[in-house]
Formats: sequence, structure tokens, C-alpha cells
Amino acid sequence: MSSLDPTTDSGRPRSFWRSLDERADTPEFRQFVEREFPAWADEMLEPASRRRFLQLMGASMALAGMTACRWPAEPIVPFAHRPAGFVPGEPLHYATALELAGAAVGLLVTSYDGRPIKVEGNPDHAYGLGGTLAWHQAALLDLYDPDRSQHVAQREAGPASWDDFVAFARPHFDALRAVRGSRLAVLADASSSPSRADMRARFTAAFPDARWYEYEPLSRDNAREGARLAFGRPQRTHVALDRAETILSLDEDFLLHHPAAVRYARDFVLGRDPDGATFSRLWVVETSPSLTGSVADRRIAIPNRAIQAFATCVLAKLVHEAGADLPAALDGLGPVLDAARRHPMYGRVDADLVLDLAGKAGRTVVLAGPRLPAETHALVHALNATLGNVGRTVTYTAEPDPDRPSHAQAIRDLARDMGRNFVDTLVLVGGNPVYDAPADLGFGDLLARVKTSIRLGAYEDETSRVCTWHVPRAHIFESWGDARDFGGTVCLIQPLIEPLHGGRTDLDLLAQLLGEAPFAAYEIVRRTFARGAAEPDPRAWHEALRVGVVAGTAWPEAGPTIGTAGWSKRLRAALDAPAYPEPGSYELVFGPDASVIDGRFANNGWLQELADPLTKLTWDNAVIVAPATAAEMGVRHGDVVRVTRSGTSVELPVFVLPGQAPRTVGATLGYGRTRAGRVGSGAGFDVYPLRVGDDTAWADVRVEPTGRTYRLATTQDHFAIDTLGAQERAERAVTLVREVELEAWRHDPQHAMPGEHAVAPVELWKPHEYPDERWGMAIDLNACTGCGACVVACQAENNIPIVGKAEVARGREMHWIRIDRYFAGAPDAPEIVHQPVTCHHCENAPCEQVCPVGATVHDAEGLNVMVYNRCIGTRYCNNNCPYKVRRFNWFNNQKHQSDLEVMIYNPDVTVRSRGVMEKCTFCLQRIQSVRIQARNEQVRGENGRAAGRLIRDGEIVPACAQACPTRAIDFGDLNDPESRVHRKHASPRAYRMLAEFNVRPRTAYLARVRNRGGHPEGAA
Amino acid sequence: MMDPSPVAASTERRALWGVLAEFDTPAALARAAREVRDLGYTRWDCYSPFPVHGLDRAMGLADTRLPWVVLGAGITGAAAAIGMQGWMNAVDYPLIISGKPMFSLPASIPIAFEMTVLFSAIAAFLAMFAFNRLPQLYHPTFQSERFRRVTNDRFFLAVEAADPRFDAQGTETLLRRLGSAHVEWLED
Amino acid sequence: MSVVGTTAPSADPWDNTSDDPTRRAPLVLGAADYASVTEKVAELAERRRPPRAWYIAFGVSLALTGLLGAMILYLFTTGVGVWGLNSPVGWAFDIINFVFWVGIGHAGTLISAILFLFRQSWRTGINRFAEAMTIFAVICAGLFPAIHVGRVWLIYWVFPLPNQMQVWPNFRSPLLWDVFAVSTYFTVSLLFWYMGMIPDLATLRDRATSRVRQRVYGLFAMGWRGSNRHWQNYERVYLILAALATPLVLSVHSVVSFDFAVSMVPGWHTTIFPPYFVAGAIFCGFAMVLLLAVPARQWFGLEALITLRHLENMNKIMLATGMIIGYAYFIEFFIAWYGGNVYEHFAFVNRALGPYAWSYWIMVTCNVIAPQLFWSKRIRTSPWVAWGICVFINVGMWFERFVIIVTSLSRDYLPGSWGAYKPTWVELCTLLGSFGLFFTLFLLFVRFVPMVAMAEVKAVLPQADAHASPNEPERRATGTLAVEKA
Repeated sequence: MSSLDPTTDSGRPRSFWRSLDERADTPEFRQFVEREFPAWADEMLEPASRRRFLQLMGASMALAGMTACRWPAEPIVPFAHRPAGFVPGEPLHYATALELAGAAVGLLVTSYDGRPIKVEGNPDHAYGLGGTLAWHQAALLDLYDPDRSQHVAQREAGPASWDDFVAFARPHFDALRAVRGSRLAVLADASSSPSRADMRARFTAAFPDARWYEYEPLSRDNAREGARLAFGRPQRTHVALDRAETILSLDEDFLLHHPAAVRYARDFVLGRDPDGATFSRLWVVETSPSLTGSVADRRIAIPNRAIQAFATCVLAKLVHEAGADLPAALDGLGPVLDAARRHPMYGRVDADLVLDLAGKAGRTVVLAGPRLPAETHALVHALNATLGNVGRTVTYTAEPDPDRPSHAQAIRDLARDMGRNFVDTLVLVGGNPVYDAPADLGFGDLLARVKTSIRLGAYEDETSRVCTWHVPRAHIFESWGDARDFGGTVCLIQPLIEPLHGGRTDLDLLAQLLGEAPFAAYEIVRRTFARGAAEPDPRAWHEALRVGVVAGTAWPEAGPTIGTAGWSKRLRAALDAPAYPEPGSYELVFGPDASVIDGRFANNGWLQELADPLTKLTWDNAVIVAPATAAEMGVRHGDVVRVTRSGTSVELPVFVLPGQAPRTVGATLGYGRTRAGRVGSGAGFDVYPLRVGDDTAWADVRVEPTGRTYRLATTQDHFAIDTLGAQERAERAVTLVREVELEAWRHDPQHAMPGEHAVAPVELWKPHEYPDERWGMAIDLNACTGCGACVVACQAENNIPIVGKAEVARGREMHWIRIDRYFAGAPDAPEIVHQPVTCHHCENAPCEQVCPVGATVHDAEGLNVMVYNRCIGTRYCNNNCPYKVRRFNWFNNQKHQSDLEVMIYNPDVTVRSRGVMEKCTFCLQRIQSVRIQARNEQVRGENGRAAGRLIRDGEIVPACAQACPTRAIDFGDLNDPESRVHRKHASPRAYRMLAEFNVRPRTAYLARVRNRGGHPEGAA
Repeated sequence: MMDPSPVAASTERRALWGVLAEFDTPAALARAAREVRDLGYTRWDCYSPFPVHGLDRAMGLADTRLPWVVLGAGITGAAAAIGMQGWMNAVDYPLIISGKPMFSLPASIPIAFEMTVLFSAIAAFLAMFAFNRLPQLYHPTFQSERFRRVTNDRFFLAVEAADPRFDAQGTETLLRRLGSAHVEWLED
Repeated sequence: MSVVGTTAPSADPWDNTSDDPTRRAPLVLGAADYASVTEKVAELAERRRPPRAWYIAFGVSLALTGLLGAMILYLFTTGVGVWGLNSPVGWAFDIINFVFWVGIGHAGTLISAILFLFRQSWRTGINRFAEAMTIFAVICAGLFPAIHVGRVWLIYWVFPLPNQMQVWPNFRSPLLWDVFAVSTYFTVSLLFWYMGMIPDLATLRDRATSRVRQRVYGLFAMGWRGSNRHWQNYERVYLILAALATPLVLSVHSVVSFDFAVSMVPGWHTTIFPPYFVAGAIFCGFAMVLLLAVPARQWFGLEALITLRHLENMNKIMLATGMIIGYAYFIEFFIAWYGGNVYEHFAFVNRALGPYAWSYWIMVTCNVIAPQLFWSKRIRTSPWVAWGICVFINVGMWFERFVIIVTSLSRDYLPGSWGAYKPTWVELCTLLGSFGLFFTLFLLFVRFVPMVAMAEVKAVLPQADAHASPNEPERRATGTLAVEKA
């Protein structure tokens, strides 16, 4: 990256860079580069090398970061969510939001002396409710990513300055304005921002002939189109999962890859309270194992192409056998349903499913995933209508911007125009089309031919490389902005820090192109907020910033009328299509990745090292193959196969995973980036080349072995397991991860727990007393979906290092909390369980007695504390830990930290040195800060003689518990009979893992409740 | 000083230390020792390349009290070990470890045993030197050239001049009578 | 002096392995008198240049020692991560080598102390040698726990020293017991070895031809002059040290086994470990003694002092201890099944059939099957064949520790955190280097120190009996009485 070399920027008269130039030209700096770079290449250190590269915050950035690190000029308002007054040095929490693919989730960012160091969910935001997913947690790391582009760049001239760009842009766009913006086009990433919409309106006003396209590689446009078919106008579907008794998800991963996933996960779990009135049963019909599929009560794995037929047959069975009556508006479907009777899928529709759906008007939900064609979505609307869910568990709101072409169409039109040289000036706002546009368009070559292309991007990535101008995009936490959540409510985005590298927001850029500059994002957002008024009402503005959401901006519920015109025929025709790919070929299903989604997070070390919820794979993607299919292909786990689709072929390793539908394989997008940065470049394999044409959901491919093998780094099952081990693992899983049948539970909670042999170990001596507080944790396996948000949250909170692929492959990942995943049942129809495991803080901790220097001991509250500066690193404690939750610093993971990188550290948590053991502390720093607060308040109280205000239950929230979208983790005082954690420990579902060894763990698990219903042996 | 030089070589007169008689076999030495013992000599000694069985009795040596020193040291070691572990872990800096008692005897036994052995062994070793008044890098016998073979294959008996019954001529003839082929006078 | 003691019936004058109980086989062969013993042994330490074999061996060993140094340097500067360890396998080569080397040491103490207490005078030929081996083995052993820690510059915290943190070691930790056991063991062995050597050092002093040798040996001889009043205390202390070293040697490997037995890792938490470890230590220790003795006696022409009978006796002991080991392997499995602990049960099935089964079967082959050859007297009494078997035994015992440590750790309680272990080149070189260190020290020992206890050997010569005239060995017993009456 020549533009990263600061020396080439020398001589430019800008103070911002001058300091950097001086820094860069010093002999120390040169020597640093010369000395350090070879060292990283040293293959002896290969295990740590990726981490080392991460650590390579090029020294050039250090001072740059600091010079930019000054207090924001615009007044931003802290979120006072604690009663305590502000104390200097005490972290402040600011409300903001993160928008992913067009829907925002409200966040609270902890800022420590001006440095954002931690992201948490905003409890006041309806679509977050305080929870987050891993991406929201990890977005923070991008803020301090040294690979983010540092300055404006011009393809010929290399590094340039914003002034240079302005000098170019003003006359250029004045000229375009003169010609009404002909031969001008904009390609923007999806955004729900009202301000963006406003600026777009102004843009099209200023450049009437200009074209504005919007593209996302993984879009939900099929749902839009489906609604258009069913209702004549795009509608957004909202479901109330907490009120549903039966949920049928057709390839919809609503727990992870859904704009409302955080909220839906919470609702889903609320609807599955074993002590509550209703306990929903989740049916999942899908092709590749998804997070949602992993928590399903009944799962049916069929090819993606067959799901529509399946759904049709469900409706047919409902109507023909369960006596559900089709609304008059849907009579057009009659012939389709008759035809469905003769369809092979008709038999596959489980009788239980029909029973679960029929006769429960308004108490069921059917969802369809974005991969499914528009007709399926229309059909699902018909299903919900037939089941009487509309207006009760299923509601609709009008989609914004109804007339825009679909993303797939937009990119195709733009490519066509570019191919015909109709585009002289192309402005790209975000996105990365060169990498993720449909491969057959050859977008990169077309873009290279465009005379003037201006790219606003956070990285000088594949796309920026071929643009004439690159403008660094400000990170979300550096930006002013706004965005709508899935329900339409506007969330304000306020910056936590002045742009570290002088990045600009999309609003800034558009303002510049419109000649409104220096009118900047701050004013634009305020203007949008004011809705026409000259100035926003200060109180309202203040309140909106404080809370993060603008009340009363949610979209009104719409009551669209359904019809079958136009699509029932297509539905009928689709029934004749084969349900399986023809022999010799397999259906490859493209999916979003649980870590990098579509590739946007490829350079994020936290996410790269976060294990996929199902494969537990890190730093890579792979082609997912079911065991039977693998045998049929003659390939084994880790073999590299060539996947070919009409000439184009991609080589990637096989990951054998139970649950993939027969005759199909799965692959996630977003890997194999070439210019992602030091972390993401070269990680994994790019499957976009296989994603051509309009069918972006799946493709028929041929798969043949190459004879080569590839090392996959997983955080679990580090090695191909032998049959002996596999048997034992299966036998143990049932005792380690307990489950109860809902029926048995409802019948007799006390005796529902299987394998609960009450062990009352004899105490050889009097146990220690913990009179004040006994901190304990309860993890509800019935609530845990295994999404992994807790893992990243913990990593952010506790300064946990990233170690890199090679080290993970050696079994040296550092996560303090991990999620163990086990399969049960038949390999072709497995049941999957997730079990978060972290330090259990055993009262008779086996780790403590074996430490020769007493570096891990119990404190007065019975916490198992690790004394880093006493540890000499014998690793004996980890050997003796039955839960294997301890992590050892094999190398100095903090070597060569630049000033920029250390900015992310939580100052309340020690950064561990080489050679010491570390582990979960129950977020001791949070316990302490709450305690100090409680003490202080007591002092202010009755002239300080009271015994001090007690710490309230729920006041202390460890990072993992805070991030959890489903509140699966509870923390509190076991001595307090009223505390949630105490009540959960007392639940008949509670059990302590390996309790028979009398280690007396402080963490209790609550057994997962299965609601298979019907005949469980048919469970899938 | 370690270099034993023949008497003749020395010019100035020095006080007589004693007479040194050489024997070929342990049996001969033992026989001689018994005689000398019975004659009531007190300040005399036998020298041999290896411990000669029965020579202690032949010389009438009393049993050594050295073992008592070792016993004392052993008891000290055990007490020190128990005391150290109890004081350090239970008194001076008590820590809650694996929910176990601050001090428990079973856990202290291994170290107590090791320290018992350590103290005893070191005591025994040092006592050996103390009782033998070693190291003593000079001794009058080293003057004798022939005495060098005491660590090889020859056996010696020396009577010191300091012995009340010592009489240079008489003692020499006695030793010759006891079968010593070679007797020499050693000066201090 | 007349020839004595060649009373062996066999035609071969060097074969004194007769098992005929009616006649006592001589411990020393050939024309042995005091002077010839002295000459034979002392000459080795005095000769100007040792055999070429010594130079070659020393060169190789020294090179390997250098390798060890380099590996340790790399380890210290980079971190324990240069080894193949991980979570769950936090220990592997480091502790394997530690246990292996400590075990080697045990035979030395056993020969010098226990056989001494049992009045096994045949030990005199080899005890010096075996004790030296103990010292060097314990040095190699002590090295590994010291370097295996993450922050080696703080290793001194395992000692109860007053420090700025005012905190003390945790005396409940078996690792700390190790610290005391191994350091005590080393100290006592050293004292024992040095004390036994004093008379011989005096011999070298008195035979010295150069002033330097005379002064150096003289210094270490501490002015020993063979006084009988000295011998009296000397013998008593030697006896006491032997009496102390005997329980010590048993305790040391018991404590080492506590590192595992006291933990709760399935496959480690076993009460059988202490005796089983001690037996194993003696087993491989004797193998190592033989490994060293066979070449040494040949290269230095010590067949008369380190006789076939010595070798055969050691082979018999190996046969016996080998069977104890085999029994332990069996009973472990029985208890794992009989105990009904599912984790324990799997740990052992996994050893024999799991991913590391190969190492388990190497162990069984080398430790249980190979020694069975010692049932044949032909093999017992043919040095180089026995030597080959001893190589197997040492390999097998190393793998025994590998099996115990790696298979148990790699699959403990939660299948979710099961792992695997593969050593890196650094670990392999470190192991190799430790052998280099061991042999370097040993070669220096045979070069400069009397490798056979001359004084003790002389004492067991027939003519050493004070009550008999050299030419009538038959009258020994009666002679004693006669003298005492006199």
C-alpha cells in the first residue's frame, strides 16, 4: 500500500501530516521499520505472526492518531443512565447507533477520557433492548484499525489531501451541475438514514439527469418483491415471536442474520419461558445449518430450491387436511394447492407441523428468509393470512423508497451503463462492489474505465484501488449521522471522538459535491431532525441525543390487502421444477458469514477469531458438507475441493458438518479478500466468483477433490476426532449439557431433569464462610442461542489479545468465555446444543492448590482471583482445571503496541504480560466500580454512619451478560435470596457441571427445554 | 607443606613428632595394633588404604557419638519444616486456597520429610569432618616418602612422641619386633 | 602377591556368573592385589590422553550441550510458545524429561545406598559410577522445571524467601514439594558421592607426579591420611548417609508422582503412582547404568572390576522391576474399570486405543516385553545384547511419561476443550541437548575422577581381611574368633 508510506506525503504544507513526516523521517522510524519487518516474517514465530502483523500499528500512525485525538468541537451529550453524578475520570456512556445493511441498532459506547473503549446495547432502543450481536461489539476495533485509509488518495498522484480533493471536486461538479448531472452516477450502500435520504433528494434536485443506485451483496430485496407481489406495494414484515406458539422459519436466520435479530432473539426466548404460559415450538426448514436451525425443536433440511414447494405443500395440507379456510382473496391459489398434493414434498410435510399450525389463529408465525425467491415470500404472506396471523403475530409497515430497483437490478443497470460508457463520473459511497458485485459483470474492469470515480471508503480496498479518487470514510463512532431501526424509529449517531485520520462521513461528501460545504454532517443531521424548522427544539434535540432514539418516528402499521394476481401462476409453474439438483451436481447455497457478514468486517481481528457458532471455524470459510455427502463425494474434512459453476471454479477446503441438507453444500461469503488489510487479506476463500447472474441464493455446482489438504483452525475439535473419542463425546454431552422435555417439565418439574444423581460429597473439613457477598452466575441454556456476542464483548472489556490463525490451530485462543457446541442424535438430522463456558469460580477450586506460588487464590467473596504479577507460569492450574477455562500468554501478545492501538484498552483491566495465566474474573473491575459507587452514596447519605447502601441486584452486569441479546446470563449475590441468580440457582432446572467432584462451582446452568412435541424420535 | 620431605633433608633440628612403622598386610597391622593397645599407649594411630575390619577393636577405640548429632539435626529439620509451613501459610499470610484449611498436617508431610533428611545429611557430613578434625592439609606423617603408599597398598602404625609411654628407641624396637620392615622417625 | 579368587568353575576366566551356591564367586577377577587395583583405576584418571573414543564422544556431547544452550536462549527470549504446548496440554516434553531424568538418577542412589545397607558387596565395582550418574541425571532433571515456567526470571519465587510482596509459596502444591524433594535429593547425593571419593582423591594426590594435580587433588582430599580413627567416623557417616538416602530415593519419585496423583486429571489421579513411579525409576535407572558401564568397562579395560556378574545382577533387577511395571500397567486398567469413574475409564481406554495409542504400545513393548529376554542367562551375560535391551528400556520409560502426561491432558473432562499435542523442533532439540549435557558431565567424570571406588574394592579383596594371612583364605571365619579371644 504505497499510500500508507508516510514518507511519500512529505513536503505537503499541512500541519496534520507534517508532524507525521517528521516522525517518519527520523532515523529511529527508519530503523524501526527495517528492524521490525523482517522479524515478523520470521517463520520461527509463524504461530504468532498474524497477531504480530496486527500489532504492527505502523509507527507512522502513532503520532497521527494522537494529533487528531482532541475533544470534539460539537457539543455531544452523555447518556446519564446511572444515578451517580459524573466524576472526572469516571467512564461516560454515549448513545449512538450502528447501521448494518440498512437497519440500525442503538448502542451505548463507553468513553474513557475521550477514548471509546467499549460498546454496549442501548436499553432504551426497542430493537436492541440493551443487547448486541458480535458485530456491534467488534465495530470498535475498526476504529483503531491501523489499516483504515489515512488520507485522500488519487490514483496517479497517490496520497493527497482533502483540500486537493475539494480543489478538484468544486469545479468538476459545478460543470456537471451545468449539464444537469448527465453521465453522472452514484452507487451507494444501503442506508436508512433520513439525512442521507434528504441529501439524496437534494442531489437529484441538483443533478436531475444523474443516476442514483443502491447495492448490497446480501440484500433482503426478495422480501420487498414478495410483498410487492402479494400486496402490490413493498411491505416490511414484523413478527411477534414472543406471542407465537408455533414458529415456522423457512430458511430465515432471524436470530443472527436479520436486521431485527437482536430484538427477535429476545422475543423468541421470551416466548419460550418454561415457567410461563406459552412455550413456542420452532420448526426450521433450511438448507445449511444456521444459528436459528441450531435451536430449532424440529429441523427439516432440504435443498433451498425445494423450500418453496415445501411451503406450498404446507399451505395445501393446511387447507386440504387441517380444514384451514383460504381467504377469498387467495382463491387464486386453489389450482396451485391442488397441484401441490401430487408434489413429492407433500409427503415430506410432517403431520405434526400441520397440527402445530392449524387452528391457532394469531398464535403462529411463518417467516421466509432473504434467499428465497419473491414468490415464496408472497406465499408466506398467504400462509400468515390463512393462519389468521396478520394483525396479531404478523404486522406490516410500508417499505421506504418503494420505487427503487432491487439491488441486483441496480448493479446490473449501472454495469450496463458503464459498459456503454454512459458514465463519466461515478461516486461510490461505501460498499465494495469490485469485490462483491455479481462476478459476471466484471465490475472492476468497468470501473477502471470510468473517467472520474470517487470512492468514499474506510479502507483503500479492492474498489478504491481502481478509482481515481479515494476519500477516507469516518468510522461510525467518529461520525454525526442518523439511521432508522427495523421499525423505522430514528436513532441519532453522535461521534465519540474526532476522526482519527480526518475521515469524512457520507453526508460530508455529498454536502461537498452539492457545494454545501463546509456545511457538515452535524448541521445536516440537525436540519433533518428539525424537519423543516430552522432550528431543532433544543430540549428535544438534547433528549434525543441523550437517549439515542427519536421518539414517535416509528413507521405506522399498514394494513395491506393481499392478492394473488400475477404470482400464483409462477408458483404453480415452480412446482414442476425438480426438488433436487440433477445427479453429479450439488446445490451450493451462499450465505452471510457469522463473522465478516459479506466481507465488510474482514479486517476485524476480533471477528476473524470469533468462532463460527456451528463450525467453530476461525479465520477461514469453507464449503460445508454433510457427512453422508462427503462420503458420497469421497472427500474428508480439510480436503481442498474444486467447486465449479459453468466454467468458473473456486478451490476451498471441506468442512464436514452434520445438518447440511443432502445433495447440497454451503459456503459463506466475505472471505478471500485481497486488499482488506493486514488481518483480512488472504484469510479464507472468495466464493463471490461463483455468485453470478440473478440467482444469488444458490447455484448448481460440481465438486471434485484436488488431492490437497488445508489446515482449518477451529476453537473446538482441534483435530479430526476418532470414533472412540466421538462416542465418548456424545455420551458425555448429555450429562454436561442437560435437557428436559417440555412435557416432562410441565408434568413434574422436580423430577424432569435426567441424569441428576444427587451427590452429597462428604466435607472433610469445615468449608469457608462467605458472609458478605457470594458472587455467582447462572447461565440459562434455554435462552442461549450461541450467537457469540458474549465472546467478543468479553474480549473488548478485558483487553484479551488476538492470537492469529496458526495459534488458534494450536489450541491457544485466549477467549475467557467460549461457547461449546455439541451435536446429538443422528448425524443426518442432528440436534445442536450451545453451552457457554467460563470460569466457574469453584469454591474448592482445583486450580488453586496446585499453584506453587499461590498466584490464584480466593478472595473474601469467594471469587477465584488470578494474581497476574505473582504468576510465574507453570500452567499447572490449567492442567488441573476440569473446565479448561484458563488461558496462558504463550508469547508477549502486547509487544510493540503503538499509541493508536493501546487507545482501545480498558484502563480498568490489567494488560497481561508474557508467561502469565489469565482467565475470567467475573468482570471484577465492574464489581469494584459498582461497590465504590455504592459506598460513595452511603457516605452522602445519613451523615455516613449507615452500613452503606447495599449493591442492588442486577446492578453489576459482566460484559458477557450485558451483551447477551437474550439475557441468558445472570450475575449476582447468591447470599441474597431475592436475587435473580439465587432464584435461578434454586430452579429445578439448575445443575452444576461436574459437581460430583465437589469443586462447588459458583456457576449454575439451567437445563435447556426441548419442545419437540409429536414423536420425538422423528425430531430433526 | 604437603610435600613430605625426608628427615635427613631438613637442616635445622625440629622436635620429634613420633615414629612411623610400615606393615605389608592388614593382618600384620592388626596384630601390631593389639600389642600397642595392650602396652597402654594412648597417642597413636593406624593408617590404611581402606577401613580394616576389626581394627577399631584392635586399637581399642570407643564407639563414636557422631550419630547423636545427626539425630538432633533430623529433629530440628522436621520441626523447622512443620513450623515454616504452618507459620507462612496459616499465620503470616493466610490465603484461602481450594477452600482447604489454612494448615493441615498431611499436606506438610512431604516437605517435612525432605527437610529432615536434608538437615541430617548435611549434619552427618559436616560432623564427619569435625570429629576427624579435617580438612587438615598438613600432617607430620606426610613427611614420610613411604607414607604416600598408605592410600595405595601399605599399612602404617604411628606412635606420637607426646604419648607418656613414648620412648623413641624403645618404641621403634617394639614396632620392629611386631613385624614392621621399615620404621622411621618423624619430626613435627 | 599371589593370584586369588579365580574359583569360577567355567572355562572362561572372566565369567564369574556361576550360580552355584556352594562357592562364592569372586567380585574381582584377575591378578588383583591392592597395588594392581590402584594402578588399574588411578591410571585412567592420570593417563595423558584418553582413548580416541572418549574424544569423539566428548566432542559430540559438547556440541549437543551447545544446542541445549541455544534452545534455552531462544525459549527465554521468545516465550514458552516456541514449544508445542497449548490448552489443554500445558505440560509435555518439559515435564516428561524432568520425570525421565529424575528416574534415571534413582538407580545410582539405589546401588550406592540400598545395596550398601543390604551388604551387597558386589556394588563396589559400580557404585561410584552410578552415583556420578545420579548427580548428572538430577542436574538434567532440575533444568526442566526451571525453564518450563512462563516467567523464568521469577523462578526463585518457588523458594520461601522473604520478598517485597511479603507472600510465601503455597505449600499445598506438589510442585513445591518437588522443589524440596529434588534439591534435597541432589544435595544428599552430592555429599554421598563426594565423601565416598575422598580416600580415592587422596590416592590420586599421593600418586600425583605434577604439582598442580597434587595440589588440586590434595585440596579435595582434605588431607585424608587413612587414619583409622578417621575411618571409624567415616564409615559411620557413610552408613548414616546410606540409611538416609534409601528412604529419600523412595520419597523423591513418590513426590514426583504426586504432581500427577494429587491433581484431578483423569489418568493422573491414581494412588498406585508412588510405588509404580519408584519401580519405574529403578527400572530405567539400572538400564542407564548398564548403558554406561558396558562401553566404559570395555574401553577402559575394567572387565576385572566391573564384571559380568555385576551386569547380570543388574539385568536381574531390571527383569524384576520390569515385571512390577507391567503389573502396574495392568492394575491401572483394572482399577479404571473397577472404579466405575467414567472419566477415568475413558482416559485409559483412550491411552490404549485413542490417537496416542502408538505411544502406549511403544511403551508396553519396550518396558514389559523387551525385559522378558532377561530370563535367558545367555542374554543376561552378553553385555552388548543387554546393552541393546537397555536402550529399549530407556526409550520405553520416556514414552511411559509421555503417555501419562499427554494422553491424560489432551482429553480430560469437557470434550469441548479436548486437544492434541505435537512437539516442535525446539522441544526435540532440547531433549537431545539434555542428553548432551548428561554425557558431557559423565565423560569429564571418567576422565578426571577415579570411576571405581578403589578403597572399597580393596576392602572386598580376600586378602583385605585383617584376621587372615593372605595365603589362607579358607580360615577367614574361624580366624575372627581366634583373634577376638586373643
